[in-house]
Amino acid sequence: MPENRDPVVHLDRQFWIVTAVLGVLALISILWWVWAPITSIMPEAVDKAQQIDALFRFLAASGTALFIFVCGYIVYFSLAFRRHAGTPENAVGIQIHDNNKLEMWWTIIPTVFVVIMAIFSLRIWAGIEFSPSNTLVVEAIGHQWYYTFRYPNVNGEVKEMHLPLGQAITLHVTSSDVIHSFWIPAMRLKADMVPGLINTFEFTPTRPGRYEIICTEFCGTLHGEMHSGTTQNPAYVYIDPPAQYASWYARTEREQIQASNAISAPLSPNQLNLSRGDAGAGAKLFAAKCSACHAVGPFDQKIVGPGLKGVLDDPAHPQLVDGDKATPENVAKILQNGFKGSMGEMPTQAGNGLNNKDIVNLVAYLKTLK
Amino acid sequence: MTAVATHAGGGLADHVHPEPQGFIRKYVFSIDHKIIGIQYMITAFLFMILGGMLAELIRIQLMKASGGLMTPETYNEVYSVHGSTMVWLVIIPLLTGGFGNLIFPVQIGARDVAFPWLNMLSFWLFPPAGLMLYASFLMGAPTAGWTEYPPMSLLGGAGTSMWAAAIFLIGVSSTMTGINFLVTILKMRAPGMTFTRMPLFVWGQFVTAPLLMIATTALGAALAALFVQRQFGVAFFDPTRGGSPLLWQHMFWFYSHPAVYIMILPAFGMISEILPTFSRKPIFGYKMIAFSSCAIAILGFMVWAHHMFTSGMAPALQLPFMVLTMLIAIPTGVKIFSWVTTLWGGVIHMTTSMLFAIGFLATFTLGGITGVFLAAVPFDLHAHGTYFIVAHLHYVLVGGSLMGILAGLFYWYPKMSGRLMNEKLGKWSFWLFFIGFNGTFLPMHWLGMWGQPRRVAMYDPQFQAWNQVCTYFSFVMTAALILILINALWSMRNGKRSGPNPWNARTLEWQIPSPMPYYNFKHVPSVFAAPYDFAEPLPYRGLEEELTGAPPPVPAAH
Repeated sequence: MPENRDPVVHLDRQFWIVTAVLGVLALISILWWVWAPITSIMPEAVDKAQQIDALFRFLAASGTALFIFVCGYIVYFSLAFRRHAGTPENAVGIQIHDNNKLEMWWTIIPTVFVVIMAIFSLRIWAGIEFSPSNTLVVEAIGHQWYYTFRYPNVNGEVKEMHLPLGQAITLHVTSSDVIHSFWIPAMRLKADMVPGLINTFEFTPTRPGRYEIICTEFCGTLHGEMHSGTTQNPAYVYIDPPAQYASWYARTEREQIQASNAISAPLSPNQLNLSRGDAGAGAKLFAAKCSACHAVGPFDQKIVGPGLKGVLDDPAHPQLVDGDKATPENVAKILQNGFKGSMGEMPTQAGNGLNNKDIVNLVAYLKTLK
Repeated sequence: MTAVATHAGGGLADHVHPEPQGFIRKYVFSIDHKIIGIQYMITAFLFMILGGMLAELIRIQLMKASGGLMTPETYNEVYSVHGSTMVWLVIIPLLTGGFGNLIFPVQIGARDVAFPWLNMLSFWLFPPAGLMLYASFLMGAPTAGWTEYPPMSLLGGAGTSMWAAAIFLIGVSSTMTGINFLVTILKMRAPGMTFTRMPLFVWGQFVTAPLLMIATTALGAALAALFVQRQFGVAFFDPTRGGSPLLWQHMFWFYSHPAVYIMILPAFGMISEILPTFSRKPIFGYKMIAFSSCAIAILGFMVWAHHMFTSGMAPALQLPFMVLTMLIAIPTGVKIFSWVTTLWGGVIHMTTSMLFAIGFLATFTLGGITGVFLAAVPFDLHAHGTYFIVAHLHYVLVGGSLMGILAGLFYWYPKMSGRLMNEKLGKWSFWLFFIGFNGTFLPMHWLGMWGQPRRVAMYDPQFQAWNQVCTYFSFVMTAALILILINALWSMRNGKRSGPNPWNARTLEWQIPSPMPYYNFKHVPSVFAAPYDFAEPLPYRGLEEELTGAPPPVPAAH
């Protein structure tokens, strides 16, 4: 192997001018990230959001600065050392193989940077994962395709999430069916909702308001609808001042007791007056609550569940999906109890937010689909 | 090769078989590593056309916030098969089976890989696996993305089992390729081809091969478990019967994180060949580039759970995964700095291949930087599962792997065909690709940060304008890829004849005729130095007769 006699390298003035320009650009980008108006686009609703944004500013500033230097040098070298028309075909570049000092520095500097970043991340991470006691424990449960919540001393699951301002919260998340995810962008926090597992994080709300909840883990056909922008089950968290929270909590506690009493004594389908429904009201309900999964078309036109045209009057399908005969009473039974099939799950009466009258009206509407 | 003897040139004795005659033995069931490499490339590019069409379906669906082109079910099938295609049927086969087979055996002075018949088997598992994957559309394709997390993958259509079987098969093929390449590099280097004289593309393959061998077995186990649960009801992943959905995620990522490096280390190797050749300069920091690949491969096995920071694991476990992931930034940074420095002081020939290599430096750097962001657990809690991830992974897989592949295609095309691809058309396609790619995926960073989750058939209407921007730019990118395809097909017959060494490159494959002859070398060469000293004479002996009319080696008598 011939000895590598690397030539002595002199960096010319042009190189240092370019370096200075890139340095200025990098500095501008760092200053931009330090003061970037992140909160005007995305409010910081909890204490952790401020910390995570601080980390993001640090990452984005150093990342942008590094990117400016790398790309700046790529462009500069590509232009400055480009072969000119007159250069002989066999011309070679400066035959330099390595430079231990330079390589040492560009190993050490990223290492130091990684250490700083790791420590910075660790401090915030510790705050998210291990927090003070004396917290309010709230449970969020993912379903296909909506969220419910459980509060201490409140019966059953409620459909809205309210949190008191300034109170430390421990959030437990889990799922009733498949894996979902619970993300509140304004909190910069997320945890997957895994069936059979409880994930936990802690935070303190610092800004009142209404914030959207988004599912980020693929959970089936209507995964894309599992956020606040939907008509079906808009998912929000409300951060209320303590007094307002207290009154919401008291009201909910009361309502849930009533609801659970109602649920504990459900009407059997025979007790519903199925012949006296309002098909017009049923049609509206169907559009709002059923049409995401059921088409007004023949049985085979599946969205999630089967098409419902002629559900009570289809010689090809004398039986419902649960095997019962297609009668108004049995349709009402499915509406009450829900149904779990191979493609997904139809929620129960409570899950769909239907009262007994709604069921009567829906059956009346389904009768008109012939 | 049992009888090893030296001859006048200092190489190994010529022990050669006669060149096969007849179309089938020569081009279909070939055991020639170069033909197999080209077979891999043709098959993978065909699947890339299919996967690309699926990608455009995705982009067209997302033109409207309410979706509209497809039902959500169909859309889920489309992106799941798109991801599976691009990872397993395009990028991995192109980088290992394709360019790996075609180039690295010649670069180490070997006449074929160690196990040519195994090589043929590896290839012939690949097209059936691909067809199986696409056949799943007929019975309800998988819908849970290329990661196929249970329980969603347990509820998916019948095609999900087909998907598992197809990917299992391609995994077997990968594993055999890994063994083959590793043995070839360890045992079949020409005399004098020490490890520190190996071209860096060979280093890329050398480091990738153990990843293929070791990691893919974990994927095979995971796929088998998924298949068994789906078909026979064994509850590996069902929490109500003592299983765990997270088990799959651990097994899957134990493969798929190393697979990320399977998909980039060979591309690193390509870039390390192309930059010095067109800068007429030795690669800067040869040993650091080679050893940093080893460091990346080893660390790559210890970071899989950084894909699962939000999935649920003991907080104390997140810590080592975060720190180890961040450590990977160091060897990666060393590589990028070395490449950029290689440009400095060169005599840069701006060919299409060089443009793609330089484009790779810019876009891969951005993908690497966002990768470090995501390693930081607190930031990942915000960005996980959003379009930020989609942006990051396309910057490394398209801006990294695919840019490397395209650079390699323009660079090594003459070695397959004896002709050059059209440079003018090539440069047009580079700029279209570069602009189209960045326009498609750059906005996804902020779409994700603002709240658009990935894998959605419909989304919040406030994001529609930026999604339309992505879609329009994706058309530009597709146009560029179509131009490249036309260029490659047209140049096969009409390209300028390249001669053996159109780029004045110094690795061994350029010292023999184009296209490369059967058995590569008339005499196995001896090697005296690393191949990057552009001011020195070539460091090889025994190549004198390669480009003259001297007779080919005489087949051994059997």
